[in-house]
Amino acid sequence: MAGVPVVRISIESACEKQVQEVGLDGSETYLQPLSMSQNLARLAQRIDFSQGSGSEEDEPGSAGRAWAEPGEAEDEEGLVKFQPSLWPWDSVRNNLRSALTEMCVLYDVLSIVKDKKFMTLDPVVQDPPPPKQNPQFLQLISKKKSLAGAAQILLKGAERLSKSVAENQENKRQRDFNSELLRLRQHWKLRKVGDKILGDLSYRSAGSLFLHHGTFEVIKNTDIDLDKKIPEDYCPLDVQIPSDLEGSAYIKVSIQKQAPDIGDLGTVNLFKRPMPKSKPGSPHWQTKLETAQNVLLCKEIFAQLSREAVQIKSQIPHIVVKNQIISQPFPGLQLSISLCHSSNDKKSQKSASEKQNPEDHLYVLEHNLHQLIRECHKQTLSSTVMPHPASAPFGHKRMRLAGPQAFDKNDISSLQSNEGLLEKIIKQAKHIFLRRRTARTIDSLASRIEDPQIQAHWSNINDVYESSVKVLITSQGYEQICKSIQLQLNIGVEQIRVVHRDGRVITLSHQEQELQDFLLSQMSQHQVHAVQQLAKVMGWHVLSFSNHVGLGPVESIGNASAITVASPNGDYAISVRNGPESGSKVMVQFPRSQCKDLPKGDVLQDNKWNHLRGPFKEVQWNKMEGRNFVYKMELLMAALTPC
Amino acid sequence: MEAPPVTMMPVTGGTINMMEYLLQGSVLDQSLESLLHRLRGLCDNMEPETFLDHEMVFLLKGQQASPFVLRARRSMDKSGMPWHLRYLGQPEIGDKNRHALVRNCVDIATSDNLTDFLVEMGFRMDHEFVAKGHVFRKGIMKIVVYKIFRILMPGNTDSIEPLSLSYLVELNVVAPAGQDVVSDDMRNFAEQLKPLVHLEKIDPKRLM
Repeated sequence: MAGVPVVRISIESACEKQVQEVGLDGSETYLQPLSMSQNLARLAQRIDFSQGSGSEEDEPGSAGRAWAEPGEAEDEEGLVKFQPSLWPWDSVRNNLRSALTEMCVLYDVLSIVKDKKFMTLDPVVQDPPPPKQNPQFLQLISKKKSLAGAAQILLKGAERLSKSVAENQENKRQRDFNSELLRLRQHWKLRKVGDKILGDLSYRSAGSLFLHHGTFEVIKNTDIDLDKKIPEDYCPLDVQIPSDLEGSAYIKVSIQKQAPDIGDLGTVNLFKRPMPKSKPGSPHWQTKLETAQNVLLCKEIFAQLSREAVQIKSQIPHIVVKNQIISQPFPGLQLSISLCHSSNDKKSQKSASEKQNPEDHLYVLEHNLHQLIRECHKQTLSSTVMPHPASAPFGHKRMRLAGPQAFDKNDISSLQSNEGLLEKIIKQAKHIFLRRRTARTIDSLASRIEDPQIQAHWSNINDVYESSVKVLITSQGYEQICKSIQLQLNIGVEQIRVVHRDGRVITLSHQEQELQDFLLSQMSQHQVHAVQQLAKVMGWHVLSFSNHVGLGPVESIGNASAITVASPNGDYAISVRNGPESGSKVMVQFPRSQCKDLPKGDVLQDNKWNHLRGPFKEVQWNKMEGRNFVYKMELLMAALTPC
Repeated sequence: MEAPPVTMMPVTGGTINMMEYLLQGSVLDQSLESLLHRLRGLCDNMEPETFLDHEMVFLLKGQQASPFVLRARRSMDKSGMPWHLRYLGQPEIGDKNRHALVRNCVDIATSDNLTDFLVEMGFRMDHEFVAKGHVFRKGIMKIVVYKIFRILMPGNTDSIEPLSLSYLVELNVVAPAGQDVVSDDMRNFAEQLKPLVHLEKIDPKRLM
């Protein structure tokens, strides 16, 4: 449409309508003229926006484009040059072009700036934000902020995690605690008071009337350090024992011969036996409770004993000093019962090593004390029977009957006669002491005197107040024939009853000397009895026999006994006198015929008198052969018996 | 209401000046077993005992408006036990701090010719009944669970019939006067019996 640029031509179009095609017949078909908007679109298509900048650009990217449409660019340039005002979109184009230029400049500047070789961008200095640091600071702050946010999330997660772990462990421990509590509940009485769990150590349910409350507290022992290793004996349940029941205690009973200095009272027995080395950890609650209960029981025993010691009137008053009760069962003898309570402090343990006398203990009595107090408990428990009729008050049946049946004073006092713990234990102590002393007496006699022999057979099973021993006195080698002396000694509390073989009963007091004297006299009698038995075996005749000779020197202990036996043919006679103190004296009587030195009397002229017996001659007994009295006697008899 | 003549006497000390603290309740027959089970667990470790008692209530009408009441009770299942003569004073409800009904009480064990003696004195038998049940003990507290039987023929304790389909539950303590602390223990014990039985202080005057 546009003409050659050099030639000025009219811009008016040649025809209104463009010919699209000419038919063979010459008819022309016309294109419909463009409408205004179609025209605009067509014109706009023609605009080459990138043209014009191509000359200024020296970059390779734009060169390609310039090369692609050179013709058109020529065309456009011409159009700009020669028809500036005629172009209807000239202003738009110009503006766009300038905008493009600007953009290209900006692009170039930016690309140069990007290299930072030739040009840098410097911000305009402004007052409020501090120069230079600002972006770093901002960066720092924003970094910090984001880090803090991340950290917070992490922390939250960690917290939740640790919480759940702790909860888990807490739950586990709680379970452990509950199972421990269940186990505790199976053995001990527990009750809940407020938010505490209290237990009962006391023997009250078993019948004890001791006033100590004996309460322990169950503690949940769960606040241990999670970081540290849990000790092996760790138990989530712990018990708190009242301070006065801590440590260990026992009752010590001992019998001493001589009274100690009055200054030692109450302190002598404070010494403890060596405590078993306690393990470093805290002991298990069960052992803890058991020891505490034992302490409580010991305290109860001692309290009961001291109360009785003060109340009971005895000839020699009982002394209660500090933790010791002293009583005198026999003169010169002292029974001391003491409560030894060791708490775990160092001081008391130190003193433990100072002095100790393990022999001192009377374990039997200590055991019996425990047994007695339990019997006491049982009695209180069983004595309270249910009332009948049901409306009646609690109490002993016999006490209730006292009124309706008009009991007299004796009946009522018999209801109340209740031997106390102390009296019982003193009786037991007396018995134990008497038994020991009897054994010692018999043993010492047996070791001191060889002829005759003394044997003691103790019974194994005894009553607490009575025991018995069988004493046999024999001669060695003649046990079968010499069984004359068999004694049964019943050792009681205050005295010893001796039952003879023939049924005689002799009561001896607790004095040691009495028993010793009695046994000595029995031993001397035994010798005479042995001669009697021997005579029977040897065929000798017993002429006379007496256990208690009224003649001769007076013995300080008992009486001398004597026997006279005659030989089978009657020629000889042996007379024995045996005294516990004077010992034995053996005389032999010869026939008159054998006595040469016998003065011939005027009276006995007849030969028949020669059959009379002659005088006695004493045998030098200690020069006789033979290991013991009976053996010697046998030899003597054998010698005097004609073949 | 006039005080009965016994309280006019100046009595001090001994077993005379005693008070009975009482809480009462009742259970139906079918829940008796569970109550007994609970009581066996709570009470002192003793063999649970049953009882069968015959109680007679005697009145002495004097010039006072209210008659003087004595209760004579004997055990029918245990021989050799003394009779029990009981005087019960007017019950005091008290305030909220006291958790049990309190009444004066005098307990005497007597020989078996008590009824003759009372009749001779001018007493007249008002009513009689048979109580059969269980007795428990916890410390000084006595818990009786029993059923009251009506005596069909006066004097014949063999022909009896139950008065109701429930058991009476009584928790009582006999203590010297002024020891209101025991009522706290009773309240605690009663709490432990809930909901099997609700033991309350029941004012007999309101029921009449």
